[in-house]
Amino acid sequence: MKNIFLITKREYLTQVKKKSFVILTLLAPVLMIAFAAFITFLFKANESSSTFNVIDKSGLFVGNLKSDQSIKYVFVPRENEKALTSTLKDMDGIEGLLIIPELKDNNFDELEKNSKLLINKKIGFETKMSVVADLSRIIKQEKIKKLGISEDQIINLDKNFDLNTQNVVDNNKADSDLDFGIKSGLSMVLMYAVFMFIIIYGVRVMRSVLEEKNNRVVEIIISSVKPFELMMGKILGVTLVALTQFSIWITMSVLGAIFLNTGFSAMQKQIPGGEQSAEMIEKFDIQQTASEVSHILLDMNYPLIIFVFIIFFLLGYIFYSSMYAAIGSAVDNETETQQFTLFAIIPLMIGMYGSFTIMNNPEGPLGFWLSIIPFTSPVAMIARIPFGVPGWQIALSIFLLVISTLLMIYIAAKVYRVGILMYGNKASAKEIWKWIRS
Amino acid sequence: MLKAEHVTKTYNAGKKLALEDFSINVPEASIYGLLGPNGAGKTTFIRIINQITQADSGEVFINNEKLNPNHIRQIGYMPEERGLYKNMSVGDQILYFGELKGMSKNDALSQAKYWFEQLEIDQWWKKKLSELSKGMAQKIQFVVTVLHRPKLLILDEPFSGFDPVNANLIKDQILNLKNNGTTIILSTHRMESVEEMCDYVALIDHAKKVLDGKVFDVREQFKKSIFGVTLADINNDAFEQFRNRYQIQEYATENQLVSFDLKNDNDQNIVLNELMKVGKIRSFDEKIPSMNEVFINAVSAGKR
Repeated sequence: MKNIFLITKREYLTQVKKKSFVILTLLAPVLMIAFAAFITFLFKANESSSTFNVIDKSGLFVGNLKSDQSIKYVFVPRENEKALTSTLKDMDGIEGLLIIPELKDNNFDELEKNSKLLINKKIGFETKMSVVADLSRIIKQEKIKKLGISEDQIINLDKNFDLNTQNVVDNNKADSDLDFGIKSGLSMVLMYAVFMFIIIYGVRVMRSVLEEKNNRVVEIIISSVKPFELMMGKILGVTLVALTQFSIWITMSVLGAIFLNTGFSAMQKQIPGGEQSAEMIEKFDIQQTASEVSHILLDMNYPLIIFVFIIFFLLGYIFYSSMYAAIGSAVDNETETQQFTLFAIIPLMIGMYGSFTIMNNPEGPLGFWLSIIPFTSPVAMIARIPFGVPGWQIALSIFLLVISTLLMIYIAAKVYRVGILMYGNKASAKEIWKWIRS
Repeated sequence: MLKAEHVTKTYNAGKKLALEDFSINVPEASIYGLLGPNGAGKTTFIRIINQITQADSGEVFINNEKLNPNHIRQIGYMPEERGLYKNMSVGDQILYFGELKGMSKNDALSQAKYWFEQLEIDQWWKKKLSELSKGMAQKIQFVVTVLHRPKLLILDEPFSGFDPVNANLIKDQILNLKNNGTTIILSTHRMESVEEMCDYVALIDHAKKVLDGKVFDVREQFKKSIFGVTLADINNDAFEQFRNRYQIQEYATENQLVSFDLKNDNDQNIVLNELMKVGKIRSFDEKIPSMNEVFINAVSAGKR
């Protein structure tokens, strides 16, 4: 036991003292936000607005076809049709000419067939679809009108059914859409974090094993401690590194959420303030949403989520990093690890991609099985947890994961024991199988 | 101190024989040389003593006690492939290995101080290993090996990587340890160091022990009654007569000196008498084979 402690301590201190660790820990959250902002910026940058001239011979669309941010409709008199058609090719700032024929005998199909959009450059699929949507909407309105229904009735018809969902299990709390969105978001973030962490830290264990093997330090250590102690110490050391990094990040994000949340209550008191410009209201809206989000976040069963997250992360990480330790011991250098690391990555990938369906149906059979089977449960259970999981499922899943983690450590220790003293050649899968069975 | 009895070890499920029926007896406070070509089984034997691997059959005893995990703290092992952590400071590293061997931090610290003075390296404590040269790293490795006052020291090629000055420094330290009662197993194929330092030697080839015993006895055993002779002012007629009656090899003249090797299985004094008539005897000594020759002879004998 004392030896494991010593090895853990050394592993932890060497890794935490590295400059790269300090920089990454402090900078990663900032980088993440910057990256998200950059992606948003990229999306925005690719957005463009198109302007179309419209010749409406039917007279149905004038006043109904409304411009928005991305598409601008400019109505022109029908006399200009010929001139515009011929000059469209060289026109700058106008992407197309929409020509709608006269409506004869209320034959809308005929109108649709003869409508055309002339363009002078490629328009995006999205742009075309929104033009089509705009036109269909108006045609639909016209058709309904012909049936003899008033405009008010139409508006009334179009009204969405606003379904009020209430979860009777969960304190009769209203399950708003925002709530669901935030839970999905949290679920994604947590799941992705676990996925990334298991791989990143697992590979760290593997590297550390390889380093000792290549340095031949392993021979000296093995003459003082058991291979199992060395492997466990190493895994635990890296675990502590991960936990340190986590606690720093969780503290940072909880502080951020609390900060926004205090803004929430302060604003509620501010509402009966006198005149507010439109700009102020809009700004207020964004802040309102942001604080509502953090409010919902803080309102969730935080202790349970953190508990489950840490338990599953730890167990999953130990499960996979013993696998990585075994891989590191069986090969001679990092390039040779690739075919073996597939074994460690594929189950996690299945868990992660499978979890996307969990977003749609958190209590479906796939979600259930993925979060019970040990290979995928570290990822899938964490994806499910923000939505709430029955206690017995969590317990069962933890139980199975503990058992299989112990089993994995046992198997890995067997491979590790033989592997670390093999120099010069890479073990084949067959050989490794032999070591496990011996 | 250490006794191995009929140790056999195979790899790959019995297909590769690493050590076969290997028995040696290492007396207390001696230096025992383990000789053999690469791949003969030396490292396997050392790993068995260190309990890195287990023998298939046979027993190893330390002080008449069957080898067990408690012995590990009494053993200091310096593997041939040296290994230390590259980006860890020398001091941290030494304390770490000391603590792994069960030392307290203070004990490790005071021992380290002693050895750093002995090896004249006190100014390296805070340096990282990657800043040291290979020879410097070897010294650290040596300190790591002896720090916990092992009763049994196993050194695999201890002098590789050292310049002659430092090799001598280490050699003196090893001899010093022996005089203080440490038993030392020296695995090497540097024959000079065997002749200089070892009291006993065992030769391993192809997984088997070829011969063992005191270094002196082993060399005696391989001598071939060849004498090196150097004469001055020779009488050519007498020399011709002498030449016809004895086997002479490696004949050479230099500055009026004549030297040759002489094979003689009879009484040496008779030959000496005859040689006195041939010329003035400058030197006459029996050629005891070097460990190098013993090694080559024994190994090639094994191949036949």
